[in-house]
Amino acid sequence: MHSSVMITSDLLQQVGLPAVLEACHCRTPQGSRLKNAVRFYNDQSREELEKELAAISRLTVLITEKHPQIVEALTQLARLRELRGTFSRLEKGGLLDDTEFFELKGALIIFSRLTKLRDILISASVNFEDTSAATALLDPGGRSNPAFHIYSEYSPSLAEIRSRKKEVEWQISQNKGSQRRTLLTKRALVIAEEDQEEERIRWELGAKLADWLPQMQHNADACGLLDFRLAKADLAVRWNGARPKLVEQGLPAVLVDARHPEVAANLEKHGLQFTPISIEIQQGTTVLTGANMGGKSVALKTIFLALLMTQLGYFPNCQSLQTPLFEFFAFESSQEGDINRGLSSFGLEAVSIRDHYRRNKIQRGLIVMDEPCRGTNPAEAAAIVNAMCKTYGRSESSFFIATHYPVSLQPGIRFYQVKGIRPELLHQLPPYQERSASDQQEVSEPKTGITTLVKVDQREDLTRVRRIQNLMDYRLEKIDGTHAVPSGAIKIAELLGVDESLLREMLAAWQEE
Amino acid sequence: MEAKAGLLELAGLNELQSLALIGMSKNAGKTTCLNHIITAWQASDQTRQLALTSIGRDGETEDILSGRAKPRIYIPAGTLIASAEDALQRSDALLEILELSDVRTAFGEVIICRALSDGYVELAGPGASEEIAVISELIRQHDPECLFIIDGALSRRSQAGSGLSEAAILAVSGITAAVPEILAEKAAFALDLLQARLVTPEIQENLMPLIISHPTARAILLSQGKHQIEHKAIELPSLVGFGLDISKELQKNSSILFLRGAITDQLINELLKEPHFANLLLIVEDGTRLFLTPGTAHKLQRRKIELAVLNALDVRLVCLNPTRSNGQLLNPEPLLAALRQKITNIPVVNLGPSNM
Repeated sequence: MHSSVMITSDLLQQVGLPAVLEACHCRTPQGSRLKNAVRFYNDQSREELEKELAAISRLTVLITEKHPQIVEALTQLARLRELRGTFSRLEKGGLLDDTEFFELKGALIIFSRLTKLRDILISASVNFEDTSAATALLDPGGRSNPAFHIYSEYSPSLAEIRSRKKEVEWQISQNKGSQRRTLLTKRALVIAEEDQEEERIRWELGAKLADWLPQMQHNADACGLLDFRLAKADLAVRWNGARPKLVEQGLPAVLVDARHPEVAANLEKHGLQFTPISIEIQQGTTVLTGANMGGKSVALKTIFLALLMTQLGYFPNCQSLQTPLFEFFAFESSQEGDINRGLSSFGLEAVSIRDHYRRNKIQRGLIVMDEPCRGTNPAEAAAIVNAMCKTYGRSESSFFIATHYPVSLQPGIRFYQVKGIRPELLHQLPPYQERSASDQQEVSEPKTGITTLVKVDQREDLTRVRRIQNLMDYRLEKIDGTHAVPSGAIKIAELLGVDESLLREMLAAWQEE
Repeated sequence: MEAKAGLLELAGLNELQSLALIGMSKNAGKTTCLNHIITAWQASDQTRQLALTSIGRDGETEDILSGRAKPRIYIPAGTLIASAEDALQRSDALLEILELSDVRTAFGEVIICRALSDGYVELAGPGASEEIAVISELIRQHDPECLFIIDGALSRRSQAGSGLSEAAILAVSGITAAVPEILAEKAAFALDLLQARLVTPEIQENLMPLIISHPTARAILLSQGKHQIEHKAIELPSLVGFGLDISKELQKNSSILFLRGAITDQLINELLKEPHFANLLLIVEDGTRLFLTPGTAHKLQRRKIELAVLNALDVRLVCLNPTRSNGQLLNPEPLLAALRQKITNIPVVNLGPSNM
């Protein structure tokens, strides 16, 4: 069986899916299990996904208006323990111990309290079965407290044994020496009777509870589902997620003001803002071009994550999002990581290109590639990139590629570019000024060992890179026809103090092209 | 025996919220002592309940190591206990389960129960002091007024101190030494270490922020710099075997060394190789962390190294169990006399065998 998401685990980490799962706080073992199962919804399960999204949407309303039942539901869920072992023992007709009876009683109390939270249950589309008869089995005296022991009410015989035992214990407390020791022996005999009767009751109680097993299992699952949906709704509220609109096949995915939660949080830590990204991804090919430092990789990850979250039943971090359901997702970027594996980066890329293409022939997918063939000779690389854009342009999949290679205008290929830095802003930056060697030494820390080999102090350069970055407009804009590669790369090189002679050569070479 | 009747008053247990029992050796008589406290508590007009747990396992019918019969713990109805699942199954008091603690031990999860009848219980509590704190919190939720007794173990892994209990009782037996004078010498020395003096408020004020900001540092060194006091936090996997990593950081002007963990002879001997390990204050968390022989303590004295603790342990009573490791009963009188001669500020009693 094919996996629904074709991506390396390193890249999945970079895309930010593990961070999403981590931020989605489930309170019950049952809810965490659902979360970790990571269910992928496709066109066949569209109805279930709609139901899931609708439930989350209704729950976000309750959370936002601070409905009093929310706190009660979370409190009850936080108390629920793992019940699989106990259920399995009940099912097999095994003997339960008092801890397991206590656990079941606790769970049954939680079920009955949650059953009363009608508003939440209706919103979450979760229903509980009536298990009050099972609760009564574990509370024969109607004490209504969560504690448990084998109650004397279970059998007149047990009550009689215990009353005899109590009498002996009273005598023990009144006696000393050998008389006390005789009484302790007498007590031991009564205890043997008590143990035997308690054991009989445990078997009987287990058998009676087993009749309610389907209902109890249903309710434990219901708790898991309620927990997971509440966690997703809470995440949607915290991250300003939007309920995605699912559209028919053939219609484009339209994202308005998508944000990457992890990147945005990191930027905010440094007092910076994430620039939301809007794009329309049609069936066929969408090419993203733009300057270096323009945030193309972040844009690809943001879009991929938002669409993937949708098909995993989460609210993506967007102003709004509509999308058809893809049968598979693929992401390929040979930018990082491969060097450690000691493998040819193009070799690995070629494998992905092969696999994506084969899968595309049988299913509709969202295939994202971040600057493929970056290390290949440019003429051949451009040919490969063009061929992929052209081929996928005719397919039913959506191929979304970031590249620096010029792609020729073909049917089924659309172009976006990162707005980048307006040339007039770049010209406003003060020209680069070399600092004197003595200045540099002042700020640098004394170096030892291997650090003597590396550059002294990059602080100044990093500040300058940041200043240029701050001028960057990360928004995407749709452009007609082939892109002009308006990278401004040479200007950036100049602003970072590349020597004049080298710059002259760069400009000359660029004009020759 | 008059000591038994007045046990609560003698050790000042009436007003306590928590108490640790510490044994100088295995089978030092902690369980016997606990049984005596329970009996005295029952006989008194105390309306508060007792709550019992242990660090690690205790109260089994026989010593797992020697196979010899051990005293069992007999509790009255109403007592709270925190013990692991397996140990509870070997208890015969009728126990009502109040709460599952989520603290796991080799004998199962620690469960908070209330005894609904009198009876025997086996205690097997958590192994780590942080977990004892969790148990203490849960017990207090069910009974805020109780006297919480921790049947402790004086071993390197787990301690009864560290601010977990307000006070302690030290149990000593003929196993440590059968000769009265030697036993008295050893007991007095153990008490000196357990009751090592509290650091001054000024030092505490300087040190605590560093301890809090370096929660995993095994050692923190304070030295008098040119203008101000300088500090160095040393991160190590443990103290044992890493003495040299600490000693190489010592300077001539080092004035305070705080060590987190068990302080053993081996560690001190490693530190003593460094000449700058001298003229300083050696601070540990509490007296139960000090596992030193008199010889090593003497070497510290000669280097003008003083010992101090962050948490003082208030030892209220010394209980004698006059038996040897082979079970032979010793004449308690000479032992008591020798102990009382050496230990003058804390009552020393022989409670005798308990009724259990």
